[in-house]
Amino acid sequence: MQISLNWFKDFVNIPKSITPEELGLRLTMHTVEIDGVKSQSDKYKNIVVGKILEIKKHPNADRLQLVKVDIGKIKLDIVCGAVNIKAGQFAPVALAGAILPNGIEIKEAAVRGEKSEGMLCAPDELGLGDDHSGILILDQPAKIGVNLSDYLNLKDIVFAIDNKSITHRPDLWSHYGLAREIAAFLNTKFKPFKYNNKLLKSAPKIELKAKVDDFTLCPRYMAVAMEGIVIAESPQWMKERLMAVGMRPINNIVDITNYVMLEMGQPLHAFDAAKIKQADGYKILVRRAKDGETMETLDSEARKLDSETLVITDGRQPLALAGVMGGLGSEINSTTKTIILESANFNFLSIRKTVQKLGLRTESSMRFEKALDPNLCELALARAVELIKKIIPRTKVISNLVDLSAVKAGGNKYGLNQGPIELDLNWLERRMGVIIDNKKIINILESLGFVVKASKEKLEVIVPTWRATRDISIPEDLLEEAARIYGYNKLAPAMPKIKMQKPCSSPERIYERKIKNILAGAGVLTEVYNYSFVGEDQLKKLNIDYTAHLKILNPIAAHQTMLRQSLAPNLINNIKTNQARHDLMALFEIGNVYFSTPGNIKKDAAGNGHLPYQERRIGIIFGGRETAAVFGKVKSVIGLLAESFNLTVKFNPSETIYNWADQQICAFIEIEGKIIGSIVKLDSRLQAGLGLKKEVAVAEINFNDFINAIMKKSNRGYKELDKYPQSARDLAFVVNAQILYNDIKKRIENFDKLIKAVELFDVYEGGQLGKDKKSLAFHITYQADRTLTSAEVDNLQQKLIKDLKEKFAAKIRDF
Amino acid sequence: MKDKLKKIQQEILNQIAKIKNIDSLCDLEIKYLGRKGELTKILRMIADLSVKEKAAIGTLANNIKREIQKEISRKKDILSSSLKSGTKTDVTLPGGKIARGHIHPITQVQNDLEDLFSSLGFMVLDGPELESDYYNFGALNIPAFHPARDIQDTFYIDKKNEAGKYDLVMRTHTSPVQIRAMKEFGAPLRCVAPGRTFRSEAIDASHEHTFYQLEGLMISEDISLTNLLAVLKEMLSGIFDRPVNIRVRPGYFPFVEPGLEIDVNCTICGGKGCPSCKGSGWLEMLGAGMVHPNVLTAGGIDPDKFSGFAFGLGINRLVMMKYGIKDIRLFQSGDLRFLEQF
Repeated sequence: MQISLNWFKDFVNIPKSITPEELGLRLTMHTVEIDGVKSQSDKYKNIVVGKILEIKKHPNADRLQLVKVDIGKIKLDIVCGAVNIKAGQFAPVALAGAILPNGIEIKEAAVRGEKSEGMLCAPDELGLGDDHSGILILDQPAKIGVNLSDYLNLKDIVFAIDNKSITHRPDLWSHYGLAREIAAFLNTKFKPFKYNNKLLKSAPKIELKAKVDDFTLCPRYMAVAMEGIVIAESPQWMKERLMAVGMRPINNIVDITNYVMLEMGQPLHAFDAAKIKQADGYKILVRRAKDGETMETLDSEARKLDSETLVITDGRQPLALAGVMGGLGSEINSTTKTIILESANFNFLSIRKTVQKLGLRTESSMRFEKALDPNLCELALARAVELIKKIIPRTKVISNLVDLSAVKAGGNKYGLNQGPIELDLNWLERRMGVIIDNKKIINILESLGFVVKASKEKLEVIVPTWRATRDISIPEDLLEEAARIYGYNKLAPAMPKIKMQKPCSSPERIYERKIKNILAGAGVLTEVYNYSFVGEDQLKKLNIDYTAHLKILNPIAAHQTMLRQSLAPNLINNIKTNQARHDLMALFEIGNVYFSTPGNIKKDAAGNGHLPYQERRIGIIFGGRETAAVFGKVKSVIGLLAESFNLTVKFNPSETIYNWADQQICAFIEIEGKIIGSIVKLDSRLQAGLGLKKEVAVAEINFNDFINAIMKKSNRGYKELDKYPQSARDLAFVVNAQILYNDIKKRIENFDKLIKAVELFDVYEGGQLGKDKKSLAFHITYQADRTLTSAEVDNLQQKLIKDLKEKFAAKIRDF
Repeated sequence: MKDKLKKIQQEILNQIAKIKNIDSLCDLEIKYLGRKGELTKILRMIADLSVKEKAAIGTLANNIKREIQKEISRKKDILSSSLKSGTKTDVTLPGGKIARGHIHPITQVQNDLEDLFSSLGFMVLDGPELESDYYNFGALNIPAFHPARDIQDTFYIDKKNEAGKYDLVMRTHTSPVQIRAMKEFGAPLRCVAPGRTFRSEAIDASHEHTFYQLEGLMISEDISLTNLLAVLKEMLSGIFDRPVNIRVRPGYFPFVEPGLEIDVNCTICGGKGCPSCKGSGWLEMLGAGMVHPNVLTAGGIDPDKFSGFAFGLGINRLVMMKYGIKDIRLFQSGDLRFLEQF
């Protein structure tokens, strides 16, 4: 929203010592965030008044002319195509370096071989209307060479307000409301709008019959009819103000409704009375639209309505979408003689729903959505009538004043909650942390329109109607008012006095960091962050069934429509991203996956239902040229991870883990006897479809299961050093390739209680061994609680060999 | 014979001592110990001696030969090592390469933040990324149809509850952890919750739909606005590792009252005004405020007995400032050219 300094000055005295920049800063520090302070004169930098000296035909172009222009110090040659210019006229000249309001930058150039040192401008090029029929001819006398903004007397300053910072303040969507704030923090006088009660009264010539179906949707409806309207352009001063804040002038009546909205914050609407006149007079009915009812709005869109939408009707058909946009059928045009001027209050929720449903947000709806004060209707209506009478002097109010609202018992008009709020001054001091003089606090609240009744220890504060719709209701709200106007930066920081407490430590966070350090350290992996989302296309290519994936109701991209159930798909994408630049890629991610089944975390305080099950996972991926290499490396990293926390790891064969797995090369990861993850080599046949040029192996581990395994193991005791020496023997043998390492290892470990450790140190396949054979070599450690003799160990080893021969048809290799 | 041997031994040792380069040493070795060498010749003559003489002279001769060989070898070592250290070792050659991995810059900065807050006595907590409407909005004093609930800002999950309503969202902030923490730990409470958050936003160099926040919460008896100022100033000094000045402005967040925006003096220009701070001399760092009594109540804490403050910090922005990163999309790009720089 843009706000004009000159407009402010109608309602508040701003001392000369306060520069516009200073005022902008003060607004930011006390009230709303100001995004920028712009002087209007900057808008026409390098655009000056020039006098046309002579006009000649362009030698190389029929439709162009060569114009000599005097801009004071020098004379310029300009090529121009407009036909409305004559020698002796004054016109705006954009010099080289000027940037027009529409963004065009002016440069010196040759046009069809003739030099052009600037440009004569049409009104639309200067943002002064839509006219592009010819150059803007300036009234004489004009001083040659002066800046166009000086000529146009543009001296206003425009503040850009960050709309997000006033979503909670319906009163600040106007010059009037902001002026009240300025008066409060500058401690100067606020000049409220006052009007004569007679303004809205008349000896009715016509009767306006109005009815509101549901006052919860339309708490107040006001309207009057005025005759003697002559539609014309607005006066210059009004057009200037509207344009200064970015509102395009249309005609006097439309401009006045817009002007009052920008000034007071109350949207108004004017209907052409002739277009809604019926045989028995003028009727207005405010009601819910009927399902399937349609109307054409001012933007020429046919809108399909339903019962959630509130409409203004003439008893037969909709005339306007209440609070959002008028209808084309009752629009003001050049022939309008009589108008019905509406100033109403609509329920913020109803407006929000309509806006969301129709995807139509307007200046009007933006204000109603914030919950406007119904009392503002009257102020704004009076202001509009005053302005219409001022601009079109012969107009008259010719109807009864419609003012409908629900009759509420107990004087609480329009259901506003004005309090009083009890403000305990001791509480205020404790919450602020400093003592501010009570008089100062009362002064601040009163300057903002609160009515304060003070007693010794507390204040009774009545909330002004414009803050009582939703904004202010509790003492904390009053604390904010006092503190921000006083100035947050005047409060001296003070450290709290608190009990020392040992913070609870979270093992998940401690171990997550350790795991990351291990993976990126000894593991030499790079950590990636991937999106929590996946897409259909990506999952299809991996043969993943996504019917049970949670879907996003409002996704923003076709490749991010669902929540991931595995880290693998996005990790596989990472390999594709990097494959052109690397032979071997090693990545990891620790992140969440999301399932549609309910988990353990409660949805709400009452414990009604549970959130979908969410699980943290560790994902590890290698991409490289050889299958065995990438699969082996992932296993090495899992081994490192387990070893780092003294955990035992086993890889168990599995035939079906994922549809995208190479069915021969996939396994479950068993840590301390529990399956907590899987390791999978991507089926090579899927590579082409995925655009992969590398072999890929991925492991995924359930993070919490892994942490639990660590925690269980972490309080293991110290083991006494061995008193007796160990004896080690190496054993290598050839077995059929089908026989699993896991089974052999288990057999050896369990063969005799003197065997304390079994460690694989070599695997060999191919070569002279022949097909379907592999050679395994183990270090075997024997130990007892006495010194073993060599003969004893040899004897055991021989028995072991015999056992392996019988059990696995192992052929012992000689060293 | 004995004298002859002693003489030649002395002669050879003298010469070895004088030798300066390895080639001369080789020449000397051939001259005396070669197949036709002088010492070799003498040793051959031993064969002609009587048995008795043989025993005495033989031992001597062999000892002498061994001693000379040892001396030559010692000299060789000296000469060759001086050769190496003197001219041929390129000390500038790198050692064998030991590869390293990389930790994501957001993890690194988040770790620093967690350490800082832990040192100030704050717990570090976690919460679900897929949240309920209740915890993400309702419990945080954001009622139905509040602008913050706009469908265009929030990713809703396409799954209705029993009442036929969409009540699951990708959390739009880390603030739901406030409520979950209050319920779990009660008051007094000091905690931070870093984590992944989501907004339904088209992405470009400065907008992301997936980003990282750190939520902070401190609740105790009589926590005041001036306490908030002091703690956040201290905390920001910790983050920037220098004493900072802060500037406090009004801001609006439904779950705090009053709501504040907190700026720090620009790290780049020191407050004079530069492009990074858009000429203002201040950088927007935190949203903060005193916890709204409705939020305390939703967390099961009595707002008449306890008060507190909360704050939220954008981690992406902090990382971007620290490393001068211009494009927010790089964080989730998985591009090793980016990740390997950290």
